[in-house]
Amino acid sequence: MDFGWTKEQKELRSGIEELAKGELNEGLIERDVNSEFNRKGWMQCAEAGVHGLPIPVEYGGLGRDTMTTVGVLERLGYGCRDNGLVFSINAHMWTLSIPILHFGTDEQKKRWLPGLCDGSLIGGNAMSEPSSGSDAYSLTTSARRDGDSYVLNGNKTFVSNGSEADLALVYATSDPEKGPAGISAFIVEKGTPGFEATGHVEKMGNRTSPMADLFFDDCRVPAENRLSSEGDGVSLFTHSMTWERACILSSAVGAMDRLVEMSVRHAKTRKQFGQPIGKFQMIASRIVDMKLRVETARALLYKAAWLRDQGRSIFLESAMAKLHISESWIATAQDAMHIQGGQGYMRETEVERELRDALGSRIYSGTSEIQRVLIASMMGL
Amino acid sequence: MPSPEDVKATIKTYILEEFLPGEDPDELTDSVELMTMGILDSISVMQLVSFVEEKFDCSFDAHELSVDHMNTLEDITKLVTSKL
Ligand SMILES: Cc1cc2nc3c(=O)[nH]c(=O)nc-3n(C[C@H](O)[C@H](O)[C@H](O)COP(=O)(O)OP(=O)(O)OC[C@H]3O[C@@H](n4cnc5c(N)ncnc54)[C@H](O)[C@@H]3O)c2cc1C
Repeated sequence: MDFGWTKEQKELRSGIEELAKGELNEGLIERDVNSEFNRKGWMQCAEAGVHGLPIPVEYGGLGRDTMTTVGVLERLGYGCRDNGLVFSINAHMWTLSIPILHFGTDEQKKRWLPGLCDGSLIGGNAMSEPSSGSDAYSLTTSARRDGDSYVLNGNKTFVSNGSEADLALVYATSDPEKGPAGISAFIVEKGTPGFEATGHVEKMGNRTSPMADLFFDDCRVPAENRLSSEGDGVSLFTHSMTWERACILSSAVGAMDRLVEMSVRHAKTRKQFGQPIGKFQMIASRIVDMKLRVETARALLYKAAWLRDQGRSIFLESAMAKLHISESWIATAQDAMHIQGGQGYMRETEVERELRDALGSRIYSGTSEIQRVLIASMMGL
Repeated sequence: MPSPEDVKATIKTYILEEFLPGEDPDELTDSVELMTMGILDSISVMQLVSFVEEKFDCSFDAHELSVDHMNTLEDITKLVTSKL
């Protein structure tokens, strides 16, 4: 295992960091207040190759390995304080582009991947329903085969990118009797009759990332839009979630680096009782814990990515990475806020937003409890 | 390289120990439908795949974790043997 980056990887990482610092942060406080998606920033990231990092060149991507991909996303998260935009890009990549890449027919890949890479198409996945969250496979949205199409009925909730999405990967059952084995996945395109996405949903954090509920009312989807075979929804979702859990918080590791640096800076300059607060052991110790968290988070992220590049399945490693990075990010954001004192609680310091943004990470892609259930099962418990 | 019989025996033992404790080994025939009967659910498939990858130093493709490839002991043995 090698923790060094090649010259080319370094250039990619610093290029994205510069773009993020220079272009993606302006007007963020207002965008957060107004729940505004930065479409211009989305396109700038796509043009820089972010959306297509792990997608082969022949489908419009950069064709990079997993290590490079998470390494670049890490620096995006460091430079870009708009965690909502970064989350949208990640949701798009891991829950839609990757499933299409690994389960799509060549025709499906050619049809959708170039647009998903160049940013002209926005997408996400729709698994959660009002009555099925953690117990995802108890979904009730139905897909009835009718000739050369499927008729979808039901509704989905909490769909990231939903209100802006051109495509959504929708999980539905074509045979409830079969339980999970009856679930299939369909790519539903915006404008399909019977498909409607509500306007945006008001959220606590990640407010610049659009979200919607999706409704399907006798929505007819061509059979050629089914991803993988009928009844293969569980293996598709397992695969997609494994990638998502391993990689979706790459940028959070970069965000944590930023929070640690900010805290060190503040602890060195803010004086109380005649000395920098960093000289108080309780403050220094809190910052040491922050540093430890970010380094252990990075180690888990890199290990999962490295194993993936060795062709290994990373069910256990991805659940551990997701669990540890999300919990560490929240704790780190909370510490960063605390070290800023009263100022940290104020909008202008932009730390309270980091905490609000971080909190969602414990819920999406499977809650912390679900990651623990998974890890325990993988350990044979 | 392990023979298909060795592969099958190793996988059978693992399934019996992990997912069917106390079950009569003779009941787990080559054609028992592990996935469709719910013996292997989405989590136990992940466990089994991780075990097999480690044991036989091989790797699985995304689409292989499905009923089409892993429903029976026979299917799994065939799949694993093809990778060795
Ligand atoms: C910011 C954000 C973005 C999201 N994006 C998407 C998206 O793009 N697509 C999509 O389909 N969904 C999305 N979701 C939904 C998300 O996947 C679900 O919220 C999540 O899976 C939890 O489901 P739930 O909200 O129904 O909670 P529930 O499943 O009702 O859980 C409630 C509580 O019970 C606990 N719990 C449940 N089961 C167990 C158990 N077996 N053991 C111990 N504790 C348990 C949970 O951990 C949680 O604390 C998003 C959510 C958020 C917050």
